[in-house]
Order: sequence, then structure tokens, then C-alpha cells
Amino acid sequence: MGEFYVTIIHRPEMVPEYLQKEAEEGKAEDLTRSGVIQESLDIFRTQQRVAHENGLHTTIQMTYASLFNAEVVAIAKEHHEKYGDEIGSTFLGIQCQQFRDKFQSKELAVWLFSMEDKRRIVDEVIGKFYEVFGFYPTSTGSYYMDAELVNYIKSRYPMIKVAVATCWEEGPKAYWNANNSWYTIFDGSPWNPWIPSKRNIHCPASDEEDDIGIVAIPHLSRDLLAVFDGPGSYYGTHPQNILRGMVYEEREIPYFKNMVDQYRAMVKYNRGYAYNMMFVGPGWMSKTGRWESDYAFLLKSYQDGMAYYGQLKREGKAKDVTMSEFADIYRRDRPYIRPECTLWKDILYGSKRQQFWYVDPWMRTCLDMNQGGAMIDLRPYAAKLVRPCGVGTKCLQDASYPFLVQSFYRAGYFTHYAGEGAVKSCKFAHKGEEVDLCTCRTLASFSEEGDTRVVTLDPVEIEFASFTISVQSVFRFAEGTGEIEIVRKIIDTTDPQAEVTINEYITACYGTTEYPEDLTGVRLTLEGASGTESIDYAYRCREAEMDGIARADALVPQVDTRLTMRANTDKAAGYFREGFAFSPMYTIGIKKAVKGKEELRTWLKVEKAS
Amino acid sequence: MAQGRKGKLNYRCPRCLMREIDMDMLYDRDADEYYCLRCSFVGDEQEVIRLNAQFREKYRDRARRITDF
Repeated sequence: MGEFYVTIIHRPEMVPEYLQKEAEEGKAEDLTRSGVIQESLDIFRTQQRVAHENGLHTTIQMTYASLFNAEVVAIAKEHHEKYGDEIGSTFLGIQCQQFRDKFQSKELAVWLFSMEDKRRIVDEVIGKFYEVFGFYPTSTGSYYMDAELVNYIKSRYPMIKVAVATCWEEGPKAYWNANNSWYTIFDGSPWNPWIPSKRNIHCPASDEEDDIGIVAIPHLSRDLLAVFDGPGSYYGTHPQNILRGMVYEEREIPYFKNMVDQYRAMVKYNRGYAYNMMFVGPGWMSKTGRWESDYAFLLKSYQDGMAYYGQLKREGKAKDVTMSEFADIYRRDRPYIRPECTLWKDILYGSKRQQFWYVDPWMRTCLDMNQGGAMIDLRPYAAKLVRPCGVGTKCLQDASYPFLVQSFYRAGYFTHYAGEGAVKSCKFAHKGEEVDLCTCRTLASFSEEGDTRVVTLDPVEIEFASFTISVQSVFRFAEGTGEIEIVRKIIDTTDPQAEVTINEYITACYGTTEYPEDLTGVRLTLEGASGTESIDYAYRCREAEMDGIARADALVPQVDTRLTMRANTDKAAGYFREGFAFSPMYTIGIKKAVKGKEELRTWLKVEKAS
Repeated sequence: MAQGRKGKLNYRCPRCLMREIDMDMLYDRDADEYYCLRCSFVGDEQEVIRLNAQFREKYRDRARRITDF
């Protein structure tokens, strides 16, 4: 692969939630209200026209409701013939009178039905599609497609090869942003396409046996920095999302192009491949205006966005592909263990902040250069947690993949004057003084050494009372290992005789939301020269340290994960620290006293525990 | 007091927006003002527009084209 691929998706929704809400103002619900259906159809036609005018072909994801509308079906067939648009299916937009009559449910989210209902809905939606078009779709999607749902789809309709499967970091933040009323709670996926595991849709498959059989596409390409700490519905390749976030001035939105260009730049990190998708439902382009924007601005933003993709295509800088075309291309050159990574930079707030994002079948993680390269997100994909969602399951609406570290949900470096937060970082200490790299903001660069991705941070200065050291951090991600090598090297010092203790640590927990989970039973272990020492977490503030450490690990049975730290020297000490109820965290670490230009080299490994 | 209705352009509460909550306001025609069901904000259209402009200020690069990646 050596291209920037763009997928444009339109869905003819007959009863988009926003339009319906407006139409219902002061009126009783009526799913057959012709004004809503006509407006929605007009918007769909407009979206298709704008794409075609810019020389782009699309994927038309037929909603269940639209399968009953002869006009939409005719448009889809015509555009397939004329422009090469793909006709796919979607589980968005299922609500219509026919659905209501058949399933007696107002549920709009396919992943939230019971498994029994999911099966019935899949058969009805795909069956109806076949009845209308005479062939089966090869693409489908929703805001979220749980593994159990996709496994069923594949068992019945093996021709389906691609799905819009998650929205990146649409979790508690999206819920909060929507006045706690929008139940898309599924943080923790990759931000770019991946081949999911049969066991959990968030996790990239490890091998052919684990391959669920589709290529997953995230719903929209999102700003990796802004969305990690803000609403997903403000910052993505969705012009009306950007209007919702009010990222514009004088009706111009350079931010959209900036985001597309930053995605284009991902070719640098991913073997010449980059991807974008744009997927705007008709409800976002209401004729009465939305998000403080009149229809003219809603339309202009859409036209401008599409025009930019069209321009890139004309210049040979982008290739427009349907979902199924993309799936074929992706599969041609995608070894299971190849990671996806990106050194994302701020394009919104005017800082120089960078975050390095990394995904492979073992983990998803993020390093924040604003905090000296601290690890602020860690999802143990290696565990491949089977975690069904929907009615009748334990998780129900909480479809997120659990984290061990999420520094914005669980404090990170800065806590309110008590306890610790979840973060992985390093401290440098000398005679009672201690500096955490979280306080040393810096920048980073990316390189590759064979199959190892390397993130090299610019050196930072650490000032002790009587001397100064210059420290460089290097993170090495060796493909197929589930392990990160971390080097903390003192590259300069004003006092070569001064002894400094380098303390590499990870403070972690587990969960899917801001709220703490019970850590009882987490096992902390040290193995080293003097044997093994272990405790089961009981909020008792216990600590232990061992010289000649071989490994320090945390076994977290709640998420079937083992987290291990090791070093390449027998001169280092390992330690663990149990927390307490007001500080529900556990810490493992390795430290070593050094002089002059020495270093500490450690490895962090993420494994499935069972 | 008059029945609250949806105002034009679905103005969200600018105070709730500051904390990233999208909360549509209601419009009181008699008082010619918007009000929030959640945070007690009340203000006319000009006040909403003024605060929305303030909200956008956090995006220092909102008008800048960036091409260096």
C-alpha cells in the first residue's frame, strides 16, 4: 500500500433522529410523517450530488427503513450503475413503522438488543436487502458492532467483508456531552481500520484463527488529541461535527483540511498507507439549521469538505474507494501483527503538543509528549476479553474495552492533593529531591528499525539544587512481542559524581469509566535474587522492594491481564505499592542508582493472564 | 409566564457548552430571551452569540491552515 484512501458513506435515513425530534416539537410521534421523510430524502440526494460533482464515488448504506422506499432504491441502483457507488447495508436507521410493527421495540441501537433479537434483526435487515436488490451486501455497519453480532452475521452472510464497527473514543465523554442521554459507550478501539478479533471487536486479530472475517472501519476519522479529552462529536472528518464544536471563523473551516492532511501524513508511520472516512447522516443537514448554523452553512461545510477530497483526488493525492473496495485493498497488505501508529500533533489549541498513538493485537497505548512521554492510555488487547453487550448481558450499554491506564479518567500525574493517578512515567531522584518526567514537556520524532517502531523524545533538563542533568527517553515497540522497551538515558550532567536514582514506574487500575472499580484480588509480585514476594490487593497500603529484580508484575484477574516490568541488569531493584480506598491504584516499578551518563532500560509487557 | 419553545438554530446553552454539555435552550417569546433547563443561564440572542464567540477562543488555530505534518 502507498496511498491515502478515502471512503465516503451516505445513508438514506427515513427518520433521522434530529429531524424527527424537530418535527415532533409540540406534536405526537409519527414515524410516517411525510415532511421528515421528504426532507431526509432531499438531503441524501444533495449529499450524493455533492460527492459526484467532486468526482467521488460513495458507499450507499441502505437503512432498513429505506428498503421500503422505492425512490431511494431506484436512486441507489442508478448511482451504482452510473457512478460505481457501492450499495451496502447498515443497522443504523432501523426505526420505521415496519420495524416497529415487526419487533415492537423503540430501540435504535443494534448492539443494545438482546442476542436473540440481534439475530432476528440481522436476518430481517439482510433478508429484506436481498429481497429488494437480489444480492447480498458486502458491507454493513452501525455506530458499534459487537463481536457477537458480527460473528453471527458472518455465520449467516459470509460475503460481508467490511463494517463500520466503532466510533473512536465515543464513550463516557460522548454520554456527558449529550446531557447523559446518548448511549454510545464504547471507548477503546483503534482510530484507523483494523481486522478485529472474534472475541472482541475492539481488539485487532492476532492471527487467522482469531480473525473475525471483516475489516472494521471506525465511524469517522477523528482528532486523536482533541477527542481523547473532549466530545467525539466535535472533532472529526464530519463537517457538521466541526460546526457542533464551533471550530470555525467567518464560516471558514480550515480545521477540516488540517485534519485530513494530518491523516494523510500517517503514511509516514504506517508503511505508506493512510485512510479517511466521511459519513454524515442526513439529520445533520437539517433545512432548519442545526448547531447554531443555518442550512446554508451546513451545506457549505459539506461542500467544502467534499471539494477538498475531490481536489486531492484530482491531484493524485487521494484515492476514493467504497467500503468493500477498501476492505480488499487493506487485506492485500496487512499482516495481523503489523501495528498502526501515529505521532499526532495539536491542530486546534495552538500548542505544540504531540501524542503518540499505537495499536497492535497486544495493546493500544498513548504517550503524551506534554508529560515527558508519559503513558496516558493502555488497553490490554492481549487479553481479548469476551465482553458481550446489550440486553441480557452484564455489561449492557458499557461496550468499552477496559483500560489499565486512562490518565484523564483516573487522574494521571496530577491528583487533588492525595493519592495517585493512573500513568506510566519515570522519576529522577537525588538526596530527597525528586522530579517526575510528567512535568517535563517535550517533543518527539518517529523512526523505524526493521520491525521496531521507535519514538525518540527530545532531551529534557532536570534541575536539582546543586546540579542539572539532561535526560532522553526512547520507546521501542518491537512488532509481535506485546512489549515496549523504554530507555531513560542521562546524556549530560553538570556533576558526573552525583548519584541519581532512575525510577521507572507504572501506576494503574482498570475500568471503562471515570469511576473506580474494585481492585480486590489484584496480585502484585516481585521476583528477584532473594526469591518471590507477592500480595493480593486489599487496600492496605503495603509496599515491598527487592534488589536484583528479575520482574515486577501485576496480575489483574478482572481483565485477565498480566502486566510485567523487567530490566536488563541485576543491579536494579523492583518494587510494588498497594493503594488504599481513596487512592485505588497499584504501582509496580524498577529503579536503579546511576552516576554520570548512565541509563536505565526496562521493558513493559502486556499479556493475557489465563 | 409564556411556554418555552425551541428557538431558531437550536441555540445551545453557552454556559453548559463551556463544560462541553450540549443542552438546547428554550426561548421565551414574551421576554425575548433564552433560558437553560439545567444551569440557570438566561440571556438574549446577542448574549448567546457573545458567549459562543468566547467559547471558540480556546481554539487558537481555528482560522489557521496547517500543512506541515
